[in-house]
Amino acid sequence: MKQNTFLGAVIGAMICSATAWAAEPGDAAPAFTVKNVKGEEVTLAKQKGKVVVLEWVNYECPFVKKHYGSGNLPKLQEKYTGKDVVWITVASGAEGEQGYLPAGELAARSEKEGNKASEIVLDTDGKVGKAYGAKTTPQLIVIDKEGKVAYNGAIDSKATTEAADIASADSYISAALDSVLAGKTVDKAKTQPYGCGVKYAK
Amino acid sequence: MKFSILMAAGIPLVSPLMAAGVKSGHAEAELLVNTAGYKPGQPLTLGIQLKVEQGWHSYWVNPGVGGMPLKVTWTLPEGWQAEELRQPIPKRFMTGDLPGFGYEGTALFLANVTPPASAQGEVELKAKVSWLTCNDSACVPGDAELSVKLPVGEGKPGGDVAAIFQAEKKVPVKMEGAELIVEEAGDTLTLRVIAPNTFNLQGSTVFPATPEVVDPAAPIVFKRAKTEWIATVKKNEYAEGSPALLDIVLFGGMLEKPYIVSWQAKK
Repeated sequence: MKQNTFLGAVIGAMICSATAWAAEPGDAAPAFTVKNVKGEEVTLAKQKGKVVVLEWVNYECPFVKKHYGSGNLPKLQEKYTGKDVVWITVASGAEGEQGYLPAGELAARSEKEGNKASEIVLDTDGKVGKAYGAKTTPQLIVIDKEGKVAYNGAIDSKATTEAADIASADSYISAALDSVLAGKTVDKAKTQPYGCGVKYAK
Repeated sequence: MKFSILMAAGIPLVSPLMAAGVKSGHAEAELLVNTAGYKPGQPLTLGIQLKVEQGWHSYWVNPGVGGMPLKVTWTLPEGWQAEELRQPIPKRFMTGDLPGFGYEGTALFLANVTPPASAQGEVELKAKVSWLTCNDSACVPGDAELSVKLPVGEGKPGGDVAAIFQAEKKVPVKMEGAELIVEEAGDTLTLRVIAPNTFNLQGSTVFPATPEVVDPAAPIVFKRAKTEWIATVKKNEYAEGSPALLDIVLFGGMLEKPYIVSWQAKK
């Protein structure tokens, strides 16, 4: 009996550690169903056959402000949704945490920031964020047409809060999307994301 | 009312050398100098002092995950040369789930600057500083344009000399005669320090100064093995291929001051 509980605990721990980072490049992207800011359901399964981007957001984070204030993220969203990429902005912050906004306010704020994503979704319980191992805002994940993770990491190579650095940075997300859209493997498939920690429920 | 007029009248009496701190975000930055005047051709030390508000922290050269090191851009007169910024030893902390290295309270960053032999007259030395402070619930950047005026002259110890002298003790110096070797096996790195007997690494705190080589959450503990010191540590999950270089800082325990040891992969 005791042994059973022990085994259960070990297996439980194994499962936990296996799911802690389930979004390594090459892994099948974890399935999810969430609600967008209009209250409609958004599922990954329905995007099969399309390239998907997941972008973690918190508009109060200075690293996020860098990429919205400069227009960099809206430009990327516009460019790649124009190439039939499904761009999903994900808010994984828990209620009461910095940057958390209820659906209506998140929609209004996203519009004000110039967000051009296909979908803006709420992941208030952090399930999607944790399934993908999202650590920071911003953080970007690219899922290829077969539903595999093709890129997971930083938006670009300069981990600063200064918009002036964007022009001279290597845009990891652009390079990843261009490769995936061309049917090639991504050269830098995993990079250290930079930004503020995702404000998961404590 | 009268009191405030008196106060205002008192301001011009403050020496022009007294730099004032600039508050921004959750910290205050100030430019310090270790002399009251400069000598042409002779190096002097400038200090960037960052006072971080209680409950917040700023970041080291290796910020860990999700931080940002302090950045300084100097604007110096023609011919003046600034050396690399020297960062004091940091603390290890967690910001929510993210491991990092940095500073709470006051940190003093140092840089040696050298005027040219032809330098003359009073000069203004300027520094544009930017930093990030975080706590568990938010990150707030700060920036400041700092300056200090310095006359040419005897270079008597100025008001900041004691602070800079104390700060030097917190900045790692090269561990003379010591060698660091890094060996990779899967996702484990073995660090070997071969050091003269004068250095006892027992119980010292060790941090990786080079980002994205060592897992920032992993403790580094050196154990004596015959003629060398060995520590095994988890490789950083974002390390690209094999590491090419690693600087480690060591302090505390049996060490009299903070040291730095560097390794570079053989080409």
